[in-house]
Amino acid sequence: MKISYNWLQSFFNKKLLIPEKLAELLTMRSFETEVIGKNKSDYILDIDVLPNRAHDCLSHIGIAREISVLLGYSLNLINYNKKLKENSKELASKLIKVEVKNKELCLRYTARVIDNVKINPSPDWIQERLRSCGLRPINNVVDITNFVMLETGQPLHAFDYDKLVSGKIIVRNAKKGEKIISLDNEEYNLDENILVIADEKKPVCIAGIKGGKGPEIDAQTKRIVLEAANFDFQIIRQGSKQLKLETDASWRFERELDPNLTEEAINEAAYLIQDIAKGKVLKGIVDVFNKKIIPKIVVLEIEKVNNLLGVKITKKEIINILKKLDFHTKIIGSKLNVSIPTRRIDISIPEDLIEEIGRIYGFEKIKSKLPKASLISPVRNENLFYKNKIRNIFINSGFSEAYNYSFINDKKYSINKNNQNLVEISNPVSQEQKYLRPNLILNLLYNIKDNKRFFNEVRLFEIGKVFSKINKNKIEEINKLGAVLLDENKKQTQEFYYLKGIIDSLLNKLRISDIWYDDAIEENDLSIPDFCDKNRRAQIKVGNDCLGWIAEIDNSALNQIGIDSEIAAFEIDFNKLVTLATEERMYLPPSKFPSVVRDIAILTNKDTKIVEVMNLINASGGALVKDIDLFDIYQGDNIPDSKKSLAFHIIYQSDEHTLTDKEVNNIHQKIVNALKKEGGWEIRE
Amino acid sequence: MINEIKQRALQEINQVNNLKELDDFYRKYIGKKGEITKILRSLKDLSERERKEKGELTNKIKKEIINLINSKKLKFANDLNHQKTSWIDVTAPGLLPSQGYPHPISLVQEKIEESFQSMGFSVIEGPEIETEHYNFDALNIPKNHPARDAWDTFWIKNFDLLLRTHTSPMQARYMEKNNPPLRIIVPGKCFRHEATDSSHDVQFYQLEGLMVGKNISMANFKGVIEAFLKDFFGSKLKMRLRPGYFPFTEPSFEVDIKREKGGWLEIMGAGMVHPNVFKSVGYLPGKLQGFAFGIGIDRLAMLKYKIDDIRMFYSNDLRFLKQF
Repeated sequence: MKISYNWLQSFFNKKLLIPEKLAELLTMRSFETEVIGKNKSDYILDIDVLPNRAHDCLSHIGIAREISVLLGYSLNLINYNKKLKENSKELASKLIKVEVKNKELCLRYTARVIDNVKINPSPDWIQERLRSCGLRPINNVVDITNFVMLETGQPLHAFDYDKLVSGKIIVRNAKKGEKIISLDNEEYNLDENILVIADEKKPVCIAGIKGGKGPEIDAQTKRIVLEAANFDFQIIRQGSKQLKLETDASWRFERELDPNLTEEAINEAAYLIQDIAKGKVLKGIVDVFNKKIIPKIVVLEIEKVNNLLGVKITKKEIINILKKLDFHTKIIGSKLNVSIPTRRIDISIPEDLIEEIGRIYGFEKIKSKLPKASLISPVRNENLFYKNKIRNIFINSGFSEAYNYSFINDKKYSINKNNQNLVEISNPVSQEQKYLRPNLILNLLYNIKDNKRFFNEVRLFEIGKVFSKINKNKIEEINKLGAVLLDENKKQTQEFYYLKGIIDSLLNKLRISDIWYDDAIEENDLSIPDFCDKNRRAQIKVGNDCLGWIAEIDNSALNQIGIDSEIAAFEIDFNKLVTLATEERMYLPPSKFPSVVRDIAILTNKDTKIVEVMNLINASGGALVKDIDLFDIYQGDNIPDSKKSLAFHIIYQSDEHTLTDKEVNNIHQKIVNALKKEGGWEIRE
Repeated sequence: MINEIKQRALQEINQVNNLKELDDFYRKYIGKKGEITKILRSLKDLSERERKEKGELTNKIKKEIINLINSKKLKFANDLNHQKTSWIDVTAPGLLPSQGYPHPISLVQEKIEESFQSMGFSVIEGPEIETEHYNFDALNIPKNHPARDAWDTFWIKNFDLLLRTHTSPMQARYMEKNNPPLRIIVPGKCFRHEATDSSHDVQFYQLEGLMVGKNISMANFKGVIEAFLKDFFGSKLKMRLRPGYFPFTEPSFEVDIKREKGGWLEIMGAGMVHPNVFKSVGYLPGKLQGFAFGIGIDRLAMLKYKIDDIRMFYSNDLRFLKQF
């Protein structure tokens, strides 16, 4: 809000601080304030009034009141209720009748009639004040209504009385289909949600928001009706939103004003119109004010002030601060009965008063004090513990951490069309936020595309939430761990196995065993996104529990994204990982007896799974087979096209004795036999 | 005689200590004028039967000796390779392991968490999809209240749900399930429905703090937050509080910091928990006091690492990530 420094000065006899110092003081005690410019000899302050003080501080008097408290200067306010002398014999109530249809929506309607006004440009001093605050001068009457609004915070409006159908002014909800043309020649369609001021025929003003063209003040205007009303803040807020029309008036009304403000404001405006536009003010105020607003009483326990702030402010000082703020206090034992001026709509509980006491006393005088709390160590957060641990495992494996938006756009959706449970945003800012991400990989694939211009090796991982609809009433958000890999340096396409190795190593470090990779996936299984290559994908399982998936990305999806290299990816349910992970470790002493290594080469069909061969070696070899290590897979020369050769080291060891050649030979022979007979494979000698 | 030569050769080769000696040894036995060569040459003067017998034996011995020479040669060659040159070039680049990098927000978040954990705060997480109740109502932000406009909100289509606009809903969620005294921080992703620029984005990371007990005061807030800020930015940091407004705290304040260079920067909103929030979670009125605060993690990261555009955080550009 723009505030004129000179205008503020006009309320004080004493000289104010220089603008910068004043701004600093206001910032520390009231509202963030900046000096933003000059208008001739005036300085313009931009004051960011806090929302809870918008009731009483969106005006020069409001700010001047703060300054008077902060500097201890007395405030010179003219009492226009006394200063105004009605100079017409006619009664205003003879000319106008005000009917308020809904008293909840219009809490007060105050009107005066002024006759014989002469419409002219307003005097320079008014024009300058308006300009300082960013308003354009129009004519003396309109300028005076604006001037009084900027000074008091009460919006006012002036009609040309003779342009109304009759003297009857009705405050009512608009009817559907009614229209109004505003002062700036815009047409607005109205309905029941919009409050209007109407004559007996039609709306003449959008209440609290904008005046209508009909009874506009013009050069010929003689008799005016001056309105200062108080409207329900919600109806104004709703109307302003619906019409997409925010004005200086609506901005103030929707922040809720004190109904007691209207009288003061209307009398000031009438006084100025009388003085400047030579009008004759008719006798009496027409005032529809059903529910009088009286000061609230808040009971404050003095001890509570110091308890909450953690200071020692004396009772005397507290009372003194409250008095400066215009709050009247009465001591009752250890308590204060505090009477709150009606403009301070923000004050209703003791804590509100404590805030006032604290800020006027000075937050900087409150000394830092570490709390006295029992020595309870924080509860360990398993998710967080493992998040940090897993992050470190990935970073040490050469993966960098990505943070993506939680959203995807239509294009990304088209790459993952088999997703039926996408969560949609009803009001995206742009098309980029149309849906919530159903997995981490879609965005990570685009990260690869972007990085590929600069790097031929991209390894990224992300830990974050993905979203899916469970049913009509429920959305599930699941923590996932995802990773993607592009490696154009490697000659062979090893991405899949590289990532598989990362998973194996990760699960090993988390002490999760029993992991296996299941490629028996139904064609239309939705648990694996359709951008995965159907021949090169697997579910990652621990026992019967599916942790996630690993796959190479399908070529058509890569084409759509615009990537021309192989990419492998995986995604794992992070919470399942945390549930399975353990920090338990148990030491087993290494065997005291030497191990014996025998190599074996097996010729199998190309489509034989290595795990089948290994299972058979384990099963037939028994407990003395300590480990099996695949060290070569060979296809090519000397081997039929349909075959591959697998070479293993088999490590034999006993914890109880040194194995003899004979023992090892026997087991080895058993394995060879099993591989031949049960496996049907050839052993290469 | 041939066997004598063999015995001698076998003894001598054990004495051979380098390639030069091995060469001499070769010449002595196998070379053009070597003893074995001489014997083989002399065979032509013998009878056919003698020649065959002696020839086979001599050739066998020659082969054995050559084998010995070869294996000795191989051994010397290996030894030579293992001999260290006198210096290495320590300025030549090291062989780097594959390197990955953490996200700067993770780094900052971890540091904040450590700092608060050391003061006994537990770290709690909450849902990113929220109800109006927890995001607004329970926090004393009533429907149709202008204050609600301050939180521009993404709404979920066909559901009565929204993307949380702050981490504050966890104040209510946590207090409903736990009794004071309590000390928590809640880091997490939040969303704002607003146009993006270098300092605003549709998503950001916030950290909520909450401490509630019988006598937790504003002075305590200052103590805790000053300890944290000095831990995070260094002991020369200056801090100040000025009035603020949040519906869920009363009094409310803004916290500004000043580092050695530069002016005051606003870094968090805070306040004493509003009695209506205590009421909404079912705590007995008047018995408790506490403070709450919200820090922008992105903002702290921007300050700490001098990042000038918030959108960099979500670019996942390796040229950016590799700097952390």
